[in-house]
Amino acid sequence: MGVTNQALPSGYQLLNYRIDRQISRGGFSIVYRAFDDSGAPVAIKEYLPSSLVLRTEGDIVRASTAENLTSFRYGMKCFFEEGRALAKINHPNVVRVLNFFRANETVYMVMRYERGRTLQQQIQMRQDQVSERLVRHVFMHLLNGLREVHTHKLLHLDIKPANVYLRTDGTPVLLDFGAARQTLTNTRPKLAPMYTPGFAAPEQYREPDRLGPWTDVYGIGASMFACLAAFAPQAADARLSEDHLVSAKKIWAGGYSDNLLEVIDWCLRLDPLERPQSVFALQKTIRDIPPRKRKLTFLDTLKKKLFSEVM
Amino acid sequence: MRFTIFQESRRGQRKVNQDRLAYTYSRDTLLLVMADGMGGHAGGEIAAQIAVRLFIERFQQEAKPTLKNPLKFLQDSMLRGHQALGSYANQFSMLETPRTTCVACVIQSNYAYWAHVGDSRLYLFRQGGLIGQTKDHSKVQYLVDQGIIGAHEVVDHPDRNKIFSCLGGLVDPVVDLSRRTPLRTGDLIVLCTDGLWSVYPQEEIARALTGTSILKSSPTLMREAELRGGPEGDNLSVIIVRWGPETVVDEPTTTITETLGLGEFQTEIDRTLTLTDRKGAQRDLTDDEIEHAIAEIQATIKRYRR
Repeated sequence: MGVTNQALPSGYQLLNYRIDRQISRGGFSIVYRAFDDSGAPVAIKEYLPSSLVLRTEGDIVRASTAENLTSFRYGMKCFFEEGRALAKINHPNVVRVLNFFRANETVYMVMRYERGRTLQQQIQMRQDQVSERLVRHVFMHLLNGLREVHTHKLLHLDIKPANVYLRTDGTPVLLDFGAARQTLTNTRPKLAPMYTPGFAAPEQYREPDRLGPWTDVYGIGASMFACLAAFAPQAADARLSEDHLVSAKKIWAGGYSDNLLEVIDWCLRLDPLERPQSVFALQKTIRDIPPRKRKLTFLDTLKKKLFSEVM
Repeated sequence: MRFTIFQESRRGQRKVNQDRLAYTYSRDTLLLVMADGMGGHAGGEIAAQIAVRLFIERFQQEAKPTLKNPLKFLQDSMLRGHQALGSYANQFSMLETPRTTCVACVIQSNYAYWAHVGDSRLYLFRQGGLIGQTKDHSKVQYLVDQGIIGAHEVVDHPDRNKIFSCLGGLVDPVVDLSRRTPLRTGDLIVLCTDGLWSVYPQEEIARALTGTSILKSSPTLMREAELRGGPEGDNLSVIIVRWGPETVVDEPTTTITETLGLGEFQTEIDRTLTLTDRKGAQRDLTDDEIEHAIAEIQATIKRYRR
């Protein structure tokens, strides 16, 4: 293993937050669990690109060369875009930013700490098939959050199970807006695009001018697909040259409602215009799907009888 | 009010982008403004920035939530902008006052009002046909009016950049005001700088935008226009508004202003990168920019904390 950036040690006092432990490490940042003055847990994201080794000891981030400093500062813009994007959004299904500050020659974003695990972990942990109820529950809530994001004229652009957190009560939170873009003001992306193969829409590879709500809709479709399959669908750039993706409707016929499978296939259309054009359009369709009739249990029969007069 | 709006500015092949543009709206009134700072003059970029800022600030003082007299607002703002440029030059002892063109449009109670100085244009299209437009304050337009050259000769004329009215000029600007023009659902209002109109005739703009979602067709139009500009391409900018609910795609792209409270404004200023970048090289942030970004994010967090 090569040299990597040193994480802040446990017990480190960062302004009025005390670092507890490292939670995760991504390409551009390290996320810590920490406690604020009142002892409440928070998640703190530290901007520290892994491609630049800038801290081998201590706490201060130091760029060794002018070139390093340029790349470091340039990448910081992405971090600011994420902060800007999230600061405006106050929604139960979107991660909440609590504070943003500069220290140790880098920048930090403080977020609400959520207990639970990512949808990715949830998928990988399960032995049996994910139930339709779970998929519907998670995605209906998630779409509410995403709709709020789009209302603020922002696109997430990196929707995937690893960026969806499931709280212990089962409600999802959309995380990691590192790829988020302001949609209306600056249509020309100023930063190198980031995307995750399998979850990124074809237009993210080739036509950045065609990004829109439908781009996130593709990510939603791919995530639903991954929930069922436990693996990501074929990457969109590969699909463009040779599409091997088998439709959800074919793979899981009978296992899930036709409507759910049709929605997945619809979201995964290669042509952006053929997908649902907005989260609202998608929600309408999902909501309209009648839940599959299941066998009535004794309790249901009882409930039905008891409430038949009131209802 | 319901409308769909798109704005974009591109630097073309120039080193700096001297175009500035913004829109802002209250619950009941929308303002669009665009300025093209004049190259060859000191600080054309600054001039455009000052003019646009002044319009936005005055709008936010006066549109509560409507403007009493939109045409007077436009006329006054142009003159104030002109004066502001003069005092800016004075303050910094500049040898030459920074200059800019300016075109602005107010939409209120289903009527459009516009004003312009110089050669930045407004087009009003209805069902693909042109029903209103500004007339450039330029030497070539004068020659066309006098019948000395034909309209098609404007684009290539050697004097095509000479304008006789601008903000910041030696004499007070000539401000042209429109009539009070009723709008219908589906009408398209297009503001653009010469970088766009010189490579894209109005018939083609109308064709490119009619019957499509402007949020999809506009980026294509800009891309194509930049290509047509070629290796000498000028800065090019556009603000496009489709009035009324969007008919092509469904609602999230339509701006609905009823959700704004009285006294609230929503503003989008195109933050065009202005610094020359060395053949597309990365430009890093200065300490000031970092502090500024952090302050901005903290202010936003506070504003949205409930």
